[in-house]
Amino acid sequence: MRLIQNGLLLSAGVALVLLVGCSSAPTTKSQMGDGPQNGAPVSKAKLINAETLNAESKSIAVTDIYYKKEGKNPSFVEETKNKSESTSASTLTPQVIAVDADKANASALTGGPNSSAFPVKFTNLADPASTSPSTTPTPDTGTPKAADSSVSNASSSANTQTIKKSGYETKMEYGELRYLASPIRGVLINSGYKVVQAKPSVPTQNQGDEYFDVVQRIKAGDFGDANYVLYGVLEEISFTDNVDEIPGTKSSSQQVALDVVVDFNLVDTQTSQIVASFIASGGGHDIRIDGRDANYKPSMAKLMKEASLSLAEDVAKHLQDQNFVVANPANDKRTEGRNFKRRLDDDASSLKVYGK
Amino acid sequence: MNARKITFFSVLLCSAFLIACSGPQVRYGDAKGVETVNANYGSTDLQMIAESMTRSLLQSKPISASKDAPRVTLAEVKNKTSEYIDTTVITDKIRTQLLKSGQVRFAVSISEMQNQVDELKRQNQTGLYKSGTISKTGNMQGAQYRIEGSIASIVKTNKDVKDVYYVFNLNLIDNESGLIEWADEKEIRKTATR
Repeated sequence: MRLIQNGLLLSAGVALVLLVGCSSAPTTKSQMGDGPQNGAPVSKAKLINAETLNAESKSIAVTDIYYKKEGKNPSFVEETKNKSESTSASTLTPQVIAVDADKANASALTGGPNSSAFPVKFTNLADPASTSPSTTPTPDTGTPKAADSSVSNASSSANTQTIKKSGYETKMEYGELRYLASPIRGVLINSGYKVVQAKPSVPTQNQGDEYFDVVQRIKAGDFGDANYVLYGVLEEISFTDNVDEIPGTKSSSQQVALDVVVDFNLVDTQTSQIVASFIASGGGHDIRIDGRDANYKPSMAKLMKEASLSLAEDVAKHLQDQNFVVANPANDKRTEGRNFKRRLDDDASSLKVYGK
Repeated sequence: MNARKITFFSVLLCSAFLIACSGPQVRYGDAKGVETVNANYGSTDLQMIAESMTRSLLQSKPISASKDAPRVTLAEVKNKTSEYIDTTVITDKIRTQLLKSGQVRFAVSISEMQNQVDELKRQNQTGLYKSGTISKTGNMQGAQYRIEGSIASIVKTNKDVKDVYYVFNLNLIDNESGLIEWADEKEIRKTATR
């Protein structure tokens, strides 16, 4: 009997312990509410090492700086119109006037400084209005002989009319400046981007503004597998040479400057979306005390180097302003790590651990 | 006996004369002591003006409230009196006291530019100096403020009295905005009687 009582007491105690144990389990679980619910396994943070990071970094291609240059060639036009009762035919024969190249370069043609020394008034032959006989403009009195004899010099017969005119032909020259973009590539490399070499863009004969169609070049595969293309078009390049007195002294200061202004667009190659757009400028300066007196000749190489470096700094600043790079890598190389987020397709819901 | 005494005193007197006529007596005085030789502009006036202006300038808002020591340059102080007064001595003294305070930095003034330009030219354009050690052209710092002013006087005299009134005016001008940020004056009256 005593043994049975002890057995019942023991079994009741074990049952009580089991009940307490079972009832405490959910409480413990609810206290660990931070973990994944519905029994989902806790995902381990993805560890990205330097090699992976480099492999996953986005790539960018930087084109050389495009430019478009307007050139004007003096030319001579002789137009003969043959009229008959039923048909009318005309012949347009442009010829280059024998003009001294130096004079032409310094003349009104190019807006040069010696335009008054070579006062030629030219008309644009590309303009049909100026070449039509009825609207032929009368030249200025300073027009040279070739032009004098030709303007509206119509020797008409019953069926033939000949018109001789002087003028200029406007020619557009397209190309790429190869020395300005390298520091920009350096800035992007410092930011952690993989920089892809772009194929050179060779202008065709009778090239038009489609030369600047970067989307066409992307489709043509000129930029390999680059995620972005940064392309710039030269807006203006100017060279100035000024001399100023230095107040309080007998000296003067010669200030030589080379300034460039470039219009940049950053295009996503997948979507053709412009992700950043800005105008950047750069300048190279050389200051010489009493330089004019000593007939000082500035170093163009030095000016160009300074201009390209300062252009790259300005580009980096604009890219930073438009959140393409997080900090200005031109000034601080340690900011590379802060650009990782942009370099990777970060999924906001995932956690990535960057390690070496 | 009397003749001997007379001879002795004569010799003594002659010796005293000779010593007295042998040259000027030189002695050092207190540089800060009050000078009242005449009513003209003098060292005491200079010291009073410089001390007063420096104290006032250091309490001015552009200098006392500036986080970094502002860059200042000295411009002209015009002498509108009838006397010859070297006004650069006044401004130099003010500059020295301001610099000693550590609250102001001074850029070279226009009158000191020739030396500055000559030095830059020597270092940059002669090709004699190691490039890393050269003070490069184009890195001079411009002054945020300039100090300029004037000194004027009113003089009245009669047979027995000469009355001189000096007023020294100093302005601190913001070079960028052109605003006069601080101005003060020091008045001095001196009267000389016969």
